[in-house]
This record gives sequence, C-alpha cells and structure tokens, in this order.
Amino acid sequence: MKKVLLALSFLMVIGLGSVLAQAQTISGTVTGSEDGMPIPGVSVFAKGTTVGTVTQLDGTYSLNVPDDADFIVFSFIGMETQEVPYEGQSVIDVTLVDEAFQVDEVIVTALGIKRERKALGYAVQDVDSEEIGRTGNSDLAGAMQGKLAGMDIKPSSGMPGASSQIVIRGARSFTGNNTPLYVVDGMPIASTSYYDTGNSVTGADISNRAVDINPADIESINVLKGQAAAALYGIRASNGVVIITTKSGANNKVGKPVVRISHNSSFDVVSRTPDYQSTWAQGNYGSYVPNTSLSWGPKISELPNSPTYGGNTDNAYTQEDGMQQGKFYVPQLAQAGLDPWKEPRVYDNWDDYYQTGYKSTNSVNVSQAFETGSFAIALTNTIQDGIALNTGMDRWNFKGSGVKELNDNFTVGFSSNYVKLEIDKLSGANDASLAGVLSAPASYNLEGYPYHEPGDPYSQIYYRSMTFDNPYWIAQNNTFNEKTERFFGNGYVEYSTNIAGSLDLDVKYQLGVDSYTTHFQDIFEYGSKGGAGVMDNYGVSSATYNSLLTASLNWSLSDNSAISATFGNELNHEEIKTYSEHGEDFNFGGWSHIQNANVVTADEAQESERTVGFFGSLSYDWRSMLFLNATGRNDYVSTMPRGNRSFFYPSVSLGFVASELEPVKALDWISYAKIRGSYAEVGQAGNYINNYFTKPDYSGGFWTGEPIQYPIDGVNSYISNNVQYDPNLKPQNTTSYEVGVNLKFFNNRFGIDYTYSRQDVEDQIFQVPLAASTGAAGLVMNGGAVHTNTHEAILYATPIKIGDFTWDIAVNYSKIDNVVDELASGVESIFLGGFVTPQVRAGIGNTYPVIYGASFKRDDQGRVLVVDNPGAWNHGMPEQGEPAVIGEVSPEFILGGTNTFSYKTVSLSAVFEWKNGGEMYSGSNGLLDLYGMSARTEDRESTFIYDGYKPNGEKNDIVRGGVNDPDAIQDLYVNVLSNIDEYYIHENSFVKLRELALSYKHPTKVFGSVDLGVSVFARNILLWTALPNFDPEASQGNNNMGGSFERFSLPQTTSYGFGIDVTF
Amino acid sequence: MKKYLNIALVFSLLSFLGACSEDTLDDINENVNDPTDVGSHLIITDVMTSTAFRVVGSDPAFYASVYIEHNVGIYNQSYNAEIRSGEPISSTTYNNSWGSIYENLYNLNLIIEKCSEGGSEEGNFHTLGIAQILTAYNLAVLTDLWGDVPWTEALQPGVIFTPVLDSQESLYQEIFGMLNSGLENLNKETNFSGLGSQDFFYGGDIDLWKKFGNGLKARYTMRLSNRNAAYGDVISFADASFESAAEQCQYEYVDASPFYQFLQDRNYFGASQSMHDKLADRNDPRDNVFFTGDVFAPNGTPDQVQDQYSKSAISVETAPTYLLSYHELQFLKAEAYVRLDELENAKDALEEGIIAAFQKPNIGLTAADAEDYFANEVESRFDSNPLAEVMVQKYLAFYEEEAVEAYNDYRRLVAMGDDVITLENPANLQQFPVRFSYGADDVTTNANVREAYGDGSYVYSEEVWWAGGSR
Repeated sequence: MKKVLLALSFLMVIGLGSVLAQAQTISGTVTGSEDGMPIPGVSVFAKGTTVGTVTQLDGTYSLNVPDDADFIVFSFIGMETQEVPYEGQSVIDVTLVDEAFQVDEVIVTALGIKRERKALGYAVQDVDSEEIGRTGNSDLAGAMQGKLAGMDIKPSSGMPGASSQIVIRGARSFTGNNTPLYVVDGMPIASTSYYDTGNSVTGADISNRAVDINPADIESINVLKGQAAAALYGIRASNGVVIITTKSGANNKVGKPVVRISHNSSFDVVSRTPDYQSTWAQGNYGSYVPNTSLSWGPKISELPNSPTYGGNTDNAYTQEDGMQQGKFYVPQLAQAGLDPWKEPRVYDNWDDYYQTGYKSTNSVNVSQAFETGSFAIALTNTIQDGIALNTGMDRWNFKGSGVKELNDNFTVGFSSNYVKLEIDKLSGANDASLAGVLSAPASYNLEGYPYHEPGDPYSQIYYRSMTFDNPYWIAQNNTFNEKTERFFGNGYVEYSTNIAGSLDLDVKYQLGVDSYTTHFQDIFEYGSKGGAGVMDNYGVSSATYNSLLTASLNWSLSDNSAISATFGNELNHEEIKTYSEHGEDFNFGGWSHIQNANVVTADEAQESERTVGFFGSLSYDWRSMLFLNATGRNDYVSTMPRGNRSFFYPSVSLGFVASELEPVKALDWISYAKIRGSYAEVGQAGNYINNYFTKPDYSGGFWTGEPIQYPIDGVNSYISNNVQYDPNLKPQNTTSYEVGVNLKFFNNRFGIDYTYSRQDVEDQIFQVPLAASTGAAGLVMNGGAVHTNTHEAILYATPIKIGDFTWDIAVNYSKIDNVVDELASGVESIFLGGFVTPQVRAGIGNTYPVIYGASFKRDDQGRVLVVDNPGAWNHGMPEQGEPAVIGEVSPEFILGGTNTFSYKTVSLSAVFEWKNGGEMYSGSNGLLDLYGMSARTEDRESTFIYDGYKPNGEKNDIVRGGVNDPDAIQDLYVNVLSNIDEYYIHENSFVKLRELALSYKHPTKVFGSVDLGVSVFARNILLWTALPNFDPEASQGNNNMGGSFERFSLPQTTSYGFGIDVTF
Repeated sequence: MKKYLNIALVFSLLSFLGACSEDTLDDINENVNDPTDVGSHLIITDVMTSTAFRVVGSDPAFYASVYIEHNVGIYNQSYNAEIRSGEPISSTTYNNSWGSIYENLYNLNLIIEKCSEGGSEEGNFHTLGIAQILTAYNLAVLTDLWGDVPWTEALQPGVIFTPVLDSQESLYQEIFGMLNSGLENLNKETNFSGLGSQDFFYGGDIDLWKKFGNGLKARYTMRLSNRNAAYGDVISFADASFESAAEQCQYEYVDASPFYQFLQDRNYFGASQSMHDKLADRNDPRDNVFFTGDVFAPNGTPDQVQDQYSKSAISVETAPTYLLSYHELQFLKAEAYVRLDELENAKDALEEGIIAAFQKPNIGLTAADAEDYFANEVESRFDSNPLAEVMVQKYLAFYEEEAVEAYNDYRRLVAMGDDVITLENPANLQQFPVRFSYGADDVTTNANVREAYGDGSYVYSEEVWWAGGSR
C-alpha cells in the first residue's frame, strides 16, 4: 500500500510541475522529529491547487505558491501529514513526526463494504499492483505465488495459459470446487473452468477462467481468507474470496489525463532438463530393436555389430547393400526413402525439441480525474509462444471504468472488461504429445529423421509403436485449442444522504453480468496413433447476472462509539449452454473437420441455476479499540432438492486494539497491538437433479476411442445413469473459528501478524462411490467430514533504513493440515483422478489428498521384501504388494518471502518460495527408468544387490546383474519396478526463486512531461528440489488432483525478461 | 426522492422474494437434457449390446484368452497376465467388467419391475421374459468367473451400501429360476408390441428367444456336472434349442468387434504356440486360417515386444460375439453323449459342431473341408479318446471369441478329473488363475467383498463351487 501511495504522490507531484501559476516563492527544510535529519522526497503542495514539489536530498524544497493558497501540505509515507497555514511567509521549515500507525487504512471487505483495517476481527491480506506486476507475469495465479499466507497456489505447467489451482486454508470439498470466489470491482465472476479435466490422464489441460484476468489492470488484490471474512457472500464464500480492484482514474490528481504505456518481454526456457543415459541404444535385452520404445539395447557404439541390423555383420541388409563398416541400419530412414545406413552417435532429443519461448505484454492505459468523477480505459495485448512447438497464447484485454457524481446525493459508475483469448496447447499422459521428446532413444535422431513417409504426410515415421504420435508430426497436425470471448462488468447507482445529525444512509444498487463463450477443439489428425483420427469440437456459453442491493446506515453515537449496519439482497442467476461434436475416422488427412468424419456424435445441454440471498451486517466500534461485527445471510439455491434450499449463515467477529490502552500506549517499543477472533458458518450447495437415463458410453478401459456408439443402425438406447442423487441432500456446512494477533514494534519497523484457524466441514456433498454390486457407481449425497488447522504468519520488517537505502522483508508462512475425518459409511476413499492405480484420492484418516497405488511388498517391520527364489527371473528383486496409500500430497509448510532493497528510485526485489514436504506421483521419472533412458540406468554392467530384505528376515545379499546375468537390470526396471506405483512416488519439496526484479524509475522527466521506468526480471528459477529430473510444478489436472500426479506432463519454464514503462 | 426510493426498494424486495420461491427454483433446476424415464424397449437394447461387447466379448474374453492359451499376452496388461505378474490377482484387472455386469443387472431389474405387477408396463410379458433370460445370462457369467458374489442384497443403490455375498450354489438356483420364469413369460400372450429393431439378437422373434433360453439351460446344466450330473437333461435342453447356426445368439458388429478393436487399440496379443501345436498335430486346416504368420509366441515366456510375433488373423471387424453358438450346443451334446456312453450320437454331434465352427464368418472354410478333416483326423482320435477329442475340438472351435466359455470348460474338466486340454504355460504349475479377482469398486467400498478378496492370492488356489471349491 505504501508503495502505491508513494508512486501516486510521485505522479501527482510530477503532473503538477508544469502548471505553475504566477506566484510567490517559498522555501524551507523538512526534517524528522526523531533524529532531526532532513527527509528527502517529502511531497509539498499548496492545498486546493495543482502546485507542488518534493524535497531534495538535503530535505530542502522551493515552491512557487499562488497568492490564493491557504495551506501548504507536507506529506510523506509513514509520517503524519502536516498542513501549515500560508500567510505569505517565504520560509517554512517543518518537522514531521512518525505516524503511530496507519489508522486510516481502509480496505474493501465483503460485498464492497469498506472498513478500516484495524476494525477487522479476521485476517485479510492484500497485494498491490506493484507486487503483482513486478515481473510482468501475465498469469494472475503465478503473480500471487509466495506473496500470501494461507494460500496454496499450484500451477500445472509452464505452457501458455496453463491452469492453476488456488486453495485457501485447505480443501472443504473432496470432489467439488475448492477455489476462492473472485470478485472484480464488486462483481463476482467465474474463475474456474466449466470443464474439469476429470481423471486428467487423457487430452490436454483446460485453462481456468481466472486466466482471463489481466494482472496489469489490477490496482490491488484483497484476499478474504476465512469464513468470517467472507460470510456475507453466503454459499459461494466458503472457499474464501479474492477481491480485485482494477485501476481507475479515481486516484489521479484532478487535471489532465494520464497516459501510461508499458511493455514487457520475457524469454522462457525449460526450467529443468532430465539427466539422461547416453551409452545405450534402442533395443531390448541388449539387442538393437529399431521399433521398440525401450532403450535397453546394445551400447550405441556397438550398433554396427548388431547381428540383424549392423553394417559390420552378415545379415539381410548387408546382403542386399553390401557391408557398411561402422554403420547400422535404421529402418525409419529406409521408410523415408533415405540412405538407411548411419554411423551411431548420441542425440539429445530433449534439447533439440524445446525452443526458447517468448512472451510480450503491451499495454496502454489512459485515465483522468475530474472534480466530480473519473474514468480509465486500458488496452492490453499479451502474446506468448511456448517452449513446445505449436503452443501459444494471444490475449486482448480491454477495460473501461468511470464514476460520476451527479449531485450531492447520487453517484453512478460502471466497470467493464472485454477479453479475447486464444490458447494453443498440447496433450499429456495417455495422449502425451511429448512422450517421444522425453524418452526417445539416444541412438535415434528424433528431430533429424523425417516424421512422415515421403508423399504421405499422414503416415508417420517413428521410433516406436503408435501408442503416441511423433512430437514433430503433432506440431504439424494435431490441434488442442481454446478460444474465449468474455465480457464482465457492472453498473451502479448510489444514493447517499445524511438523515439526521450523525446518521448517514447509503443505498447502492448494482447490476452486473459475466458472460463468456469458450470453444474448444481437440484434433488428432488423420494418421494420429496410426488411425484415422479423432476430433472433438465443444464449448460453453455462460451468462451470469448479478443483482445487488445494499443499504448502509452509519451512526456515530458519540465521539467514542459508532454503529454501522448494512442490509441487502443479492440475486445471482446463471444460464449455461454447452455443445459437443465428436468425430472419428476421417476420410483423408488435411481436412480435420467434422464433415470429414465418418462417425459423428453430437450433444448439447442447457442448465441454469440461481442463488438469492438476503443479508445483514451490524458493527459496533468503541473508542477505536473494540470492534464488534456480526453478519447473517440467508440463501436460497436452485441446485438443491425442494424443501432443502434455504440456509442461514451467521458470523461474529471481535477486534481489540490493545495498543489503545493507556499502559500499552506508554510503551515506546510497541507501535500497535491487536487481538482478534471470529466464528462463522458457511456452506456449499450441491448439484442436485432427479435421477435420469442416459446414452450408454463405451469409452475408457482398453479403448482409445469409443468402440460402440449409439445410434447403432438407427437404433438408440438409454440406460439408468450410473450416478444417482439423494433426494434428501442438504447443504454441507463449514464451521470455522480463527484467532489472531497483529503486533508492530519500533515505529513499525518490525511487525508480525499471526492467525490460527480451524475449520470443520460436515455433511460434505460428494459423489459417494458405491460398490458396483449396488447397481450404481455413485450416489451424490452427504457424507464425510474434513477438518483443517491452519497456522499463518506474516512477518514484515525493515531491517535497514538509512538515508535513501531501505531493505524491506515480508515473509508469509503457511502450515495447513487438512485431514479427512470420515466418509460416508462403507466408503473408505474417493477417487479424484489418475488411473485405477495409481490414483489420487481422499481417504479416511489421511491428509487430503493422497496417492494410492501398488506398494512394495513389505515385511511386518515395513521393510521392502525381495523374492528369494534362485533361478526365477525376479530372484532378488522386490515385488508388488497390496495397494495402499503411497504418497501424501500436502506439504508440511510453505514459506514465501520477499526481500526488497531500494535506493532512491532503484529497487531490487526477490521473491522466494520454499515448499517443504509433500509428495507426487512422478510418472515421467518412473517411465524414464522403464524406457532405459534415465541416467540411473547408465550402469548396466555392474552387479547389483537390491536394497531390501529376504523373506527370512535377512538383509538381501542376492547379487544380480553383471556380465553373466545381463537381463536382470532390465527385468528390474521394466518388469518389476515399473509395475510398483510406489516406485514412482517422490517427495517434491522445493525452493524457488519465484521472482527477481531490478527496477529503475528515472527521477526526473526524461522529455517534456514524460516519466520513464525500466526493469529487468527473472521468474521461476528452481534452486533446489527433492524431485529428481523434473520441476515439481508440472503435473496433470485443473481440479483437486492438481500438483499431485504427473505423467508426460508439459514442463515448467524459467523466464527472463525486461519491462519499460512510460507515463505522461 | 426518498419516496420513490422506498417504493423501488419495496418492489425490488418483493420481486426478489418471488425469484426464490420453490416453484421458480424447481423450474430453474429442471433437467432439460436427460429423460427421467424411458420405456423398457429402449433400455433393453443396450443391455444386449453391453452383454455382448463388454461382458463376454472383451475384457473377460481377453484375459481368459491368455489363461486358456488361445492367445499369448505379449505386452502390458496382457503380458503381465501371461507371466502371472500382478494382473491375475489385482482387483483392478477385471473391475470394468465386474461393474458392467452389475450395471446390466441393474437395468434388467428396472425392466423386470416395469413389466411386472404394479409396474408401468405390467403385462409386457415378452420383454419381461427376455429380461429374465438376460439376467440369468449375466448372473451366470458373474458367478462362473467370480464365484460367490453379491446378489440378494445387490442392486439397491443408496439403500444397501455393502451387499453380502451369495453362494454360487444359490446363484445357480436363481439362474435356473430366472430361465424358467423367462420361458414361462415368453409363452404368455401380450398386448404390448414386440421389441422389433430394438432387439439386436432376434428382432423380437420370441421363438428364437425361447430356443436361446433352452440352450442356456443345456449349458448351465452341463456346468454343474461335477456337482450334479444330468447329461440327459443337457441333451433334451439342447434339442429344444437352435436348429442351425442361423438361430444362434450372436451380436454382429459393423466395424468394431472387440478382438479387432483390441488389436487396433492395444496390440497386446501374439499367436499361441500351444494352440498352433494342437492344430498342427491334427493337420487342422484352421492352422492356416487362424494366424497371420508362423512366428509363435512361447506360452508363458514371450518377449514383451509388440509386432515381433504373428497374431490372430481372425480378429476382424465383423467377427461376431457369441452369447451361445450353435456349435457350442453340438459340443455340449457330444460331451453329454460321451458321458452317457452313446458314442455314435456323440460322434454325430461332434461332426455337426465342427462343421458349424468351420463356417464361422471369419474362418471361411466349408462344410466339405470340415467333413474331410473329421474323417481324416478327428474320427480316429475320437475313437481312441472320445472325451478328449470332443473337448479339444470344442476348445479349438471357441477360438477366439468364445474364450470365456473355453475357460469355464477347462476349469470344469480339471475339477472332474478330465484334464484333457493340455496347456503349456510353465507358470501353471503354481499359478493358474482358477477364477477372476473381485472388482476394485467393491473391494474398496464393500467390506464383504474386501474380506473375500483378501490379498487376491485366492485366485490361484480356490476353485469356484462348481469346480469343486467352496466359494
């Protein structure tokens, strides 16, 4: 906040410099009361005019004051503003005193109600535009990482537009939405995708709708973390609220328009490259096999001696072509009509594939303030080319806002945003686009060898079977695209009046809309996976209307106490229409259109839902010391069964500012002390509908497509939907309390804000998995409980403040323990995503979520057992044990920290994040071993003893491998470990340098009235991680399994860039 | 000004109250995308498709095919099944099929309720009879493969969460009961129109459904031979069934037979060495028809490499899935006659079965080919060991769509002490899966099934009841 103020005052001062009236000159020196030292940068201006300046390094100033000036105002951040009456003096020296603390900092709470920060009985935390925009991150979620306590922000990958999952204070719903409500300029908007990636093992990622928000438009973000803070939003608020205020002209100095043009460029590279083996060729058990996915062949250098394909040996190929000393036969080159004889060498297929991504953001913002209002318009374009071929993003954000005071009573205003977004993605997991990039044999030149047969672009040439497509072929042929157009905004009229004496009334009516349409295309072109192609065209149109009426009364009872009350009504109505067209079996390649498909199915759906809420809030302030607040809201929702639609949610909170007590006031070293506590209940509604019949679905299992599709020969059929709905469904309820303390010491040089909160969620609504023998797969019902204990601490300090040099530290610590207490009777776990095994699930007694799958077979003491069966192929190797919980996803804690060093107008800031603990399923790590491509498999000639115990309890001493047992090492990785899911589980703690930015603002005008700022920055530098080979922040899924399950996922990136900012 | 404001306030509050009345919210929450009820004729069609494609056509057939050595699993799950690593005991292996059968049974139950007394289609006896026959069929596949399974407490979602297991013996009583009631209902007159094109098996022809019902009674009577031999009944039931292959119960595909689709999508099978050996030993002309080449995968010890071995040449698009084939009935009769020591009758039935099997659409041999083969190769073998030759011929005829039934026969024969089909997988010495492992959907959520499942190793040791086991 302070920085914004500083920047604003700076702008103000600058904007005014040119408007000099005919006047007298005054001068003087500004010093601090504590040390008597001069203070530079103090803003000095004549009240009620546009005339002003700032003090020089030595604290002196000189100002031309118009004759009609009454007061000269001296203000500086962190010090109390002084107004000195102007009566024609020519010298005014001023001593500024430190502000005790910022008593008047006003923040926006639920439903736009403005409250002083100190009056709050619950935790809120804010992030300002500078913190968000420092490294020009075009992704809002990424821009918040490391800057907020109690928030776990999990990006899915470094691909343009990649989804991320934000969860505040743990999860409340097992399978439903756990992400906060986003409110932009008073209007709640959609932030999640309509489409869930489901099991997240096929297709491409689907971006969240929060990707539409342009960080460059944001003035500030205020996060209401707890239920008490958010309770006024009713059922939508159980996951917390992210309140976004966009940049407006309201903070400008009245006068001429301010134009700001900014540009950011950044260059992306893969954040981490796996360690590969570089000795062994494609093949199986030491023999070169040119079409296997495995690299368990001979040494690459020995390829010419391959009995079947070597140029040095007598075989079918040398009989035809003659001996080819030192070369080996590559059938894929023959397929391409090229010389098939190649000298063996090592290729780096990973590095060959990835390119340097480029992202740029260009933005123009014009704003102006008038006596009776203000406006702002902004246009921003963000373009991005990803590190993977044929990925990218193009986003246009256009926003406008304005406020106008019509008369003493009426004010009108609006805020509107238009977004146009296109994202090109790639697919992961079972449809992995990058499987070959990750695991192509080092002996195969993936980039250099043609990817299709000559004259036939749709017959792929590849090193392996067509389970996956050649990534270079994909770049030319497959498409995973989403296009969004969106408008959101609102208009309002506000009526304010003084009813009597100290009683003020304020009535506001706001009507808003959030409307978007997204079209998706997933195209596996003719020839994909060796087949005739599959395509899906689908999309959603959603329009949400929000009507909000609030009436507020403010009544000052006396100097010491005040009451304010707010009552209101909110109606939120959403209309959704979706469509899908599925086409299979194209006639020919190059025309990937539904008309070219021989099997076509289509669907459409319409849904609507409505929430109507009535609410009230009452607060009482006493002596600026005691703040009591109570709220209540009754919601009616359409998505619940008749009779169970109305719910009431109360909250109470109390804030006590102990530093207002006389004995505490007397303590010099305490600047501020506040204790707070709150209690709230909020809920979440389910999505109830009557049981229904549906068209059978034959996809899944062994099938890549849908082998049976209705209608069959013009005959349709409908079966009972295998998910049913409990007609007695009631809303799930979250009860929470939090207590916190906020202390500031030594003139605010050091502060701590600690919050403990406890949430108990009962009657969770989820699709309870049923035993198949019940005849249905799931029942949407109440069941289960989960609780969360959260410790959040925010620490801020200014260890050094000498002259122009300042060092600020802000640290955010979160420890969130989210434990599943119970599930519906008979249910022990809920599937969240992945495969049958391994899967991500919620399980009783476990933290949420966990990874479940085949474990190592262990003895009673939990030690890994090996097979003791001399002569068996797996003698001395571990075995698959029973399926079990094999990994816990939640971290122990997350620690984020920002260090800012500023000297005059130069500042260097670094944001670190340390995630300690937590595990993930790293499919790619295990697969690299299976394929024989990881550096771990480099040594295949030594003997090995697998670390484990024999069934008789002795430490394993069975020696396998070596020259006399050459197959053992491959058996271990390919036939044993690859079948044990637990082997794929890794801790994924990490330390990242999220942001490093050096920025400079030119202290004076560079030209006319032009200000200039430049910055250089880097993002997401992985410093350390417990996860081998990959960046831990690359995974599958845009839902509750996010961050836990990785399999051929698209990699994370590290960015380097610069920004230029011009204001005039 | 204030007056207008007050009026506006009152009005808007009133309209907001109307905006959240139960009726309004009901309208808003109405599901316009899916029907809440449909006629039984629209439900039963998919039960037929699912029974054919999912229940006997795909996963159970693919795994049975490996265990019975019709094919050799050379990759991934099929390879693991081949080398008995993980797959045979894992609860996830057959989970989809386990779920599909219960889904069919649930939908059949809806149909039976609709068409029974008090239901919305009371008196729709023919659809009721067909549903009962299909219930018996699905239930039989379920208990044949999984043994004791939930039934009496099953199919009540949201009411009973953890159904108990019923014994296979009682389930077989239920199966025969269902077949008998089904046949009874098919004999009744009804005013409801027939299924017509909604019936993918018989186009609504009730006589053929009756034959199918009788044929199933023959099959299941034979199944219980180890417990309660009734070979005469097998013959009389079979005689009341199909009179030619044209009447057999089969599901025809336009372009997606399960084995064809499995080859396209997965490519997990190689041609079986032991299968080839049996054919070659008999100079069987099908040895040149069944496989794409002569690189056979060794049973139990193949390399896990795709496209290295020859494959099935009869996994074609249009290969039908047989719920019950005419040739199976002939082999059932042949076995029954052998066991009754009526060898001439047995020989006739055996020859008829071979002739029918030779003429399956994806085999494409002629009756004359079959007769030659019978005269030159089969007859002498039959004379020296009638039971062995009947069962081996049945085993060969079942390649590859009828793997589930081949698997059932093998287990029954072993239980009866008639180990006449030789399998070569060396792992069989310790690990022949004598049953399928329970589905994960029940193992994870139904304590009764979980207890029965244990660690899954029972699949190697505990036979189902009709094969001499206890559960």
